Amino acid sequence: MRRHQALVSGFALVFLIVSLLAPARAAAQETPRRGGVLLAAIAADAPSLDPHQEQTFATMQLVAPLYSTLIQIDPYSYPKIIGDAATEWKIAPDGLTYTFKIRPGIRFHDGSPLTAADVKATYDKIIFPPAGVRSIRKNTYSAMSSVEAPDPSTVVFKLKFPSASLLGNLASPWNVIYPKKYLDRDPNYFKNNVVGSGPFKFKSYTRGATFEGERNPDYFVKDRPYLDGYKFFISTETAVRAAAIRSGRAWVEFRTFPLSEVEAIKKQLGDKVVVQETPATGLFGIAMNQTQKPFTDIRVRKALTLGIDRSTAGRVLYPIASLRDVGGLMRPTTEWAIAESELQLLPGFWRDAEKSRAEARRLLAEAGYPNGFKVVLKNRNVRTPYIDFGVYVIQEWRKIGIEAEHRPLETAAWFADGRDTGNFEVIVNGTFNYMDDPDLFLERYTSGDTSNWGRFSDPRIDDLFARQARALDPGERRKLVIELQKIVLENAYHIPGLWWARSMVHWAKVKNYVAPPNHYSNQKLQDVWLAED
Amino acid sequence: MATSIELAHASASATLAPKPSVTEVVARFVRTKPLGAAGGVIILGMLFLAVFAQMLAPYDPYVGDYGLQFSRPSAEHWFGTDEFGRDVMSRIMYGARIALFVGFTASLIGCTIGALLGVISAYWGGRVDLLLERLMDILLAFPQLILALAIASILGPAVQNVVIAISIPVIPRVARVVRSAALSVKENVYVEAVQALGATRRRVILQHIIPNVAAPYIIMLTAQLGAAILAEAALSYLGLGAAEPTPSWGLMLSGSAPSYAEKAPWIALFPGIAISLGVFGFNLFGDSLRDALDPKLKG
Repeated sequence: MRRHQALVSGFALVFLIVSLLAPARAAAQETPRRGGVLLAAIAADAPSLDPHQEQTFATMQLVAPLYSTLIQIDPYSYPKIIGDAATEWKIAPDGLTYTFKIRPGIRFHDGSPLTAADVKATYDKIIFPPAGVRSIRKNTYSAMSSVEAPDPSTVVFKLKFPSASLLGNLASPWNVIYPKKYLDRDPNYFKNNVVGSGPFKFKSYTRGATFEGERNPDYFVKDRPYLDGYKFFISTETAVRAAAIRSGRAWVEFRTFPLSEVEAIKKQLGDKVVVQETPATGLFGIAMNQTQKPFTDIRVRKALTLGIDRSTAGRVLYPIASLRDVGGLMRPTTEWAIAESELQLLPGFWRDAEKSRAEARRLLAEAGYPNGFKVVLKNRNVRTPYIDFGVYVIQEWRKIGIEAEHRPLETAAWFADGRDTGNFEVIVNGTFNYMDDPDLFLERYTSGDTSNWGRFSDPRIDDLFARQARALDPGERRKLVIELQKIVLENAYHIPGLWWARSMVHWAKVKNYVAPPNHYSNQKLQDVWLAED
Repeated sequence: MATSIELAHASASATLAPKPSVTEVVARFVRTKPLGAAGGVIILGMLFLAVFAQMLAPYDPYVGDYGLQFSRPSAEHWFGTDEFGRDVMSRIMYGARIALFVGFTASLIGCTIGALLGVISAYWGGRVDLLLERLMDILLAFPQLILALAIASILGPAVQNVVIAISIPVIPRVARVVRSAALSVKENVYVEAVQALGATRRRVILQHIIPNVAAPYIIMLTAQLGAAILAEAALSYLGLGAAEPTPSWGLMLSGSAPSYAEKAPWIALFPGIAISLGVFGFNLFGDSLRDALDPKLKG
């Protein structure tokens, strides 16, 4: 046994991350100033406060500063993984056991200590949710066989088969750690309540209006956070949020502003604001309900995707809606993306838009709709980029005879119709993840997945997804990932639109925030500080 | 002798004067109420645009020319183009349809239901009156737009829901006015006479009361039209009315328009002018019509 342990230790890759080093490095340039409440604007309200059950930035950004996670993406260096509640971890050479050491002295906001039992209860809720509890990311952990807490400072994840993305998935900002005793009482407790161990404590929440957190004086990272608190103003209107930034009612909008707003803000505030531009790990598209006609017909689905001129969309939508890059189901320029030359052979990605439209009309006629048909396009009532993207698609579809009625819904109703009940014909939906990871991006095309809003099923996709998830060789995994994407696109199971480009605007006095290519990670705000005006 | 004959002739011609023709009525209206007539011209103009939008609009209001995003007013695009390169003038022309449709249907529904409730309330009196009036009191407690907002947010954004949302707050206002008119009509001797002759309630209401409360009904109808157009614009502006890309004036004014106020002010300017002009037209016409129809205001 001892020999075995020694062997494991010998081969194991040991990640020792001292997370205190990261803020120290960034703070070296300027002396951080304590105090002040960070004022932020946000484009949507949270459907619930439980990140395990939600997938919107609205939930994430509001509550992320209140919680800790096991490990996390380095706030200063995406996609590097560093510790949070865990200080170090070991991966067994066979890739089937992950052992984490929990940092001592972490306390929840109610005063109770954070131990391995809480981490186990948290991950049990995510991976093996009890009846009546939704877990959005359950399938991401299909490799997991058990989570164990042999002692208060050790958590062990045991796997049935190796998982190439597991460490990244454990660094998910969504997997916030809850105290076990509340979960035991009610697994849905955290939909409406907050008991975390993050740098900030919950202060107040007025639905649809504001959300506030205040400094946690007992935070486990010494001398953090710098801020006394943070306050979000909620408004779905881009113009309102931009006006809030311009007037100094808010100093940061963590998601994005369209280029035209950025230009106007820059023009007015000049050096007082900073714009951080990054490509973004978000793909906006359209799900077709494949449990009902005519979307069961591949010809109709192909026509709908052929009817959208994507390269023009990038040109039109980038200045007004931050949607820019044409790509497949994995972000262009990443190792998982389909090569440009291959992409152009797939329906909807042809160079010649007129030829695409002609083919779309031919397919519609062949499917029995020579004059097109009427359809209701449901959408989320958030202007950037949902509404603008929806309007573009409606215009494009008119050219092939599809008359779409646009129906924007409140965030909760949009999730309810799209994700939960399938009460839609076609619906604008996006996939936005905290990492360029095939597990995160492609799971939604597998049978029965919660994020498979189109409700289609293809065993080839399920098989490829399972195989790529286990493929530890990056080359082999890449091949499988490309093949999977091609099946989805060739069969038009889903209509990808455009990939996002993020323009994050904040006042220059908001210091020490580095925008990653997503708006989920780096939201704990523990290192952010406010300079004097 | 000759004088008395002439007088008798004059009085006879006065009593037997033929009913003035429509042209004469219109001519007199124009002469006596020039502002009202101007309002009428604006309404006719809107109606013309709405009916013939398909022929008059130079471009498709739904499909933009992507090469011409945010282009200034020019010979090709008189009112410029919006963020999708759509022709603002064509969208305003089609927008007249929505404005008039919502304006007419909402005020017609609201005024008709209100008038019926007012007449019922006045004629039946007693408990029916008490109950209906308290119900109207509850509705009147909310400002018109706030009530419309609440209803629209429950029903969700769609043109037909906007009609419902706008028409409901109109009901109590019309019911009150019509009730008071009906109460005075009810007390007239001829009503008592037909009741004494055994006329049914239905006959009394339909043939004797309703025709006599038509004037306040028509006045309220025209007065509410302008308000309804404005309410539609307000609801669309707040995201509770028609949904993009429907060319609704209020919607054109909201959405992205405020974001582009500096870069492309014409996107918001022209729909704003259209709303003002439409509401102005209906208000002018409604005011003059009230003056013309209300016997108390006749000099």
